[in-house]
Amino acid sequence: MSEPAPPKKDADEPADEATEQTPVTTGASSVVRALENAGVEAAFGVQGGAIMPVYDALWHSDIHHVTMAHEQGAAHAADAFGVVRNEPGVCLATSGPGATNLVTGIADANMDSDGVLALTGQVPSEMVGSDAFQETDTIGVTTPITKHNYFAAEADSVGDTVGEAFALAGEGRPGPTLVDLPKDVTMDETDRQPGPAKTPKTTTPKTTPDKAAVADAARAIEAAERPLLLLGGGVIKADATDEARAFAREFGIPVVTTMPGIGSFPEDDDLCLSWAGMHGTGYANMAITHTDLLVAVGTRFDDRLTGGVDSFAPEAEVVHVDIDPAEISKNVHADYPVVGDAATTLDRLADEVATEPDAGEWREQCLTWKDEYPMDYATPEDEPLKPQFVVECLDEATSDRAVVTSGVGQHQMWAAQYWTFTEPRTWVSSHGLGTMGYGLPAAIGARLAAEDDQEVVCVDGDGSFLMTIQELSVAVREELDITVAVLNNEYIGMVRQWQDAFFEGRHMAAEYNWCPEFDKLAEAFGARGWRVDDYDEVADAIEEALAYDGPSVIDFHIDPRENVYPMVASGGANGKFALTEDQL
Amino acid sequence: MSSDDSNETTDLPKHGLAGPRPEERPHPEGRRNSQGIRIDPEVEAEHDPRRAVISALVENEPGVLSRVAGLVSRRQFNIESLTVGPTTVDGHARITMVVEEPDPGIDQIEKQMAKLKPVISVGELDDDAVRAELVLLKVEGDEPDKVHAITEMYEGKTLDAGPRTITVQLTGDERKIDDAIDAFRQFGIIEIARTGQTALARGDQATVPGEKPGTAGEPTTPTNYDD
Repeated sequence: MSEPAPPKKDADEPADEATEQTPVTTGASSVVRALENAGVEAAFGVQGGAIMPVYDALWHSDIHHVTMAHEQGAAHAADAFGVVRNEPGVCLATSGPGATNLVTGIADANMDSDGVLALTGQVPSEMVGSDAFQETDTIGVTTPITKHNYFAAEADSVGDTVGEAFALAGEGRPGPTLVDLPKDVTMDETDRQPGPAKTPKTTTPKTTPDKAAVADAARAIEAAERPLLLLGGGVIKADATDEARAFAREFGIPVVTTMPGIGSFPEDDDLCLSWAGMHGTGYANMAITHTDLLVAVGTRFDDRLTGGVDSFAPEAEVVHVDIDPAEISKNVHADYPVVGDAATTLDRLADEVATEPDAGEWREQCLTWKDEYPMDYATPEDEPLKPQFVVECLDEATSDRAVVTSGVGQHQMWAAQYWTFTEPRTWVSSHGLGTMGYGLPAAIGARLAAEDDQEVVCVDGDGSFLMTIQELSVAVREELDITVAVLNNEYIGMVRQWQDAFFEGRHMAAEYNWCPEFDKLAEAFGARGWRVDDYDEVADAIEEALAYDGPSVIDFHIDPRENVYPMVASGGANGKFALTEDQL
Repeated sequence: MSSDDSNETTDLPKHGLAGPRPEERPHPEGRRNSQGIRIDPEVEAEHDPRRAVISALVENEPGVLSRVAGLVSRRQFNIESLTVGPTTVDGHARITMVVEEPDPGIDQIEKQMAKLKPVISVGELDDDAVRAELVLLKVEGDEPDKVHAITEMYEGKTLDAGPRTITVQLTGDERKIDDAIDAFRQFGIIEIARTGQTALARGDQATVPGEKPGTAGEPTTPTNYDD
């Protein structure tokens, strides 16, 4: 029999011991040491054969490891942790199915330019290629969905590799990186300390914009009559929200955001028209349709934003500021391309613009559109609960800095439309990949990353919640104060909306009236649960759930016929958004 | 924005939002083409597909070829040929790729390639670049004299001659190789192996930045990627 295992360090131990770093004796301890050197506080993962040496090395580390119920949850939790902290999040999984289960979360991070470091176990080097137990070509599988991935070759250098992968994930335009760790590499002895983390020489981004490019863009801004600032997720990742706000206000330029850009500009500001695109506000889509100069910062002009490119901002010259040169003129031609960091470039641009554009009439026009296309909705009391009302009540009951996560579908759109966001890194969602099930694990990651006075609310749908509901067990075990608000319409609602609009109402595989009762299921997990059917129960349930210091679930049974509007048909013109179904 | 009081919201539709209908709104006339460039529809130019030669210096690490090839095909560019080999710098390789450009978007491929971690530099070659490829042809051996004559005509070499087959090697630009293959058809071609084009910029101009001139045959340590 082996000796009894030493006790896992916990909070009772003296602080000075708790701050010691992991001594490097093996490849695995070098991996953990590299994470500690990078300042990693939390990691999310699931144990398994090939990653066991790394987990063993975590035994003595201060890194808070959160065991998730499924590796997909680990990747999403790491992603959301990183979004809220604005640094790469870390997830771990074993080889084979552990690694393939991470794939959805890695692809999600890749589409949203979220920094994530994934560490995967791998079968021992000598068995690679033999179709060994739990072997998958993780490098091959993840190459198209990572910034870069590394196959660790030896124990001596594996710490440096992990340090580089972490640094690369956060450098320039962030994104996911992965290190595949063969078990012999992590088991082998080494006493080599990982050096300071360095990013590769070949990836250094250009952060300072060309002077001439900035000057050209400034002349265009001075001359514009209908200028519009389009702020994307890159503004938040570059920590450029102060610069963006100052720029818009100094020159009186109205602002729209993309969905990932939500929070870059306060939505309650007169200049702000909220977000544009398929389900963006009518006024944002009118502005983007009629602007004569679109100043786009940190956006990749996703098709959900542009609609059909042929009719996108058809009157506008485009200034495109991005740190990734490959995004310039990829989807929409940039008349004024500016490669650089968003904060630096907006600063330089503010210095260079000599006179405020003469845009008084245009600002008036934008305000008129706000009146013409209000987001008001009917709340007939003899009809089922409206989801928009639930979102507004949640917003009202929480602080400005509350973090909102979501799944994907109708509930996500209502959350984005009816919550008034004012701060960056408070809207945490799956945009580019559109991953149902993102919301709950993201709330877990966000809870661990956010400050104590920030509420964490997951606005979820019945279909999305069911996809990763097992992570509720993690929230219970970790005693995480999160509130899940399920907007339950017993449909995979966005599909049902499209079936009504484009498939003559045939609800093939879209009815979800077979879902479990989420309030009772929450109680079974050890969380608190509420069910709400009527308007007069909404406020109380929200108050009780927010007051409960632990995971809570409110199952809001909403109007199953409610759809998301405005809506721009796929590939259609933003200016032709439908306000009701008959307009599609 | 909402109201709990249904009396105040009677002019709102039961589902959906209020406001001018799409046909009641102003819509601008302008349009963009498929590359997102604003156009005058009457003068929109037709674009002929073209082929481009891309040259890249890369760190010669495991998997670099599959990263490059995977990226190019993922972005829907068709690779016609691809060659790879070491350079004068130890640990570096040069990849030369001929791609078919469906839309004017070669610079998009260059920019995506430049983002790959092992890619040091990448660029498209000018039309006047020096290009060559090599082909091995195995033909029926019934008429050895005639095969020999055609091989001479194209400045080729006979690598193997047996009673039933003859294998020859030819080098040159793509057009010469195409012509030669046509000429050999009369004998009955059994097998062909072509390397695809490899190329360098003409004169003292660097093909792509990163490989120091004048060091051929003497591997140097990779130093500064900026020059």
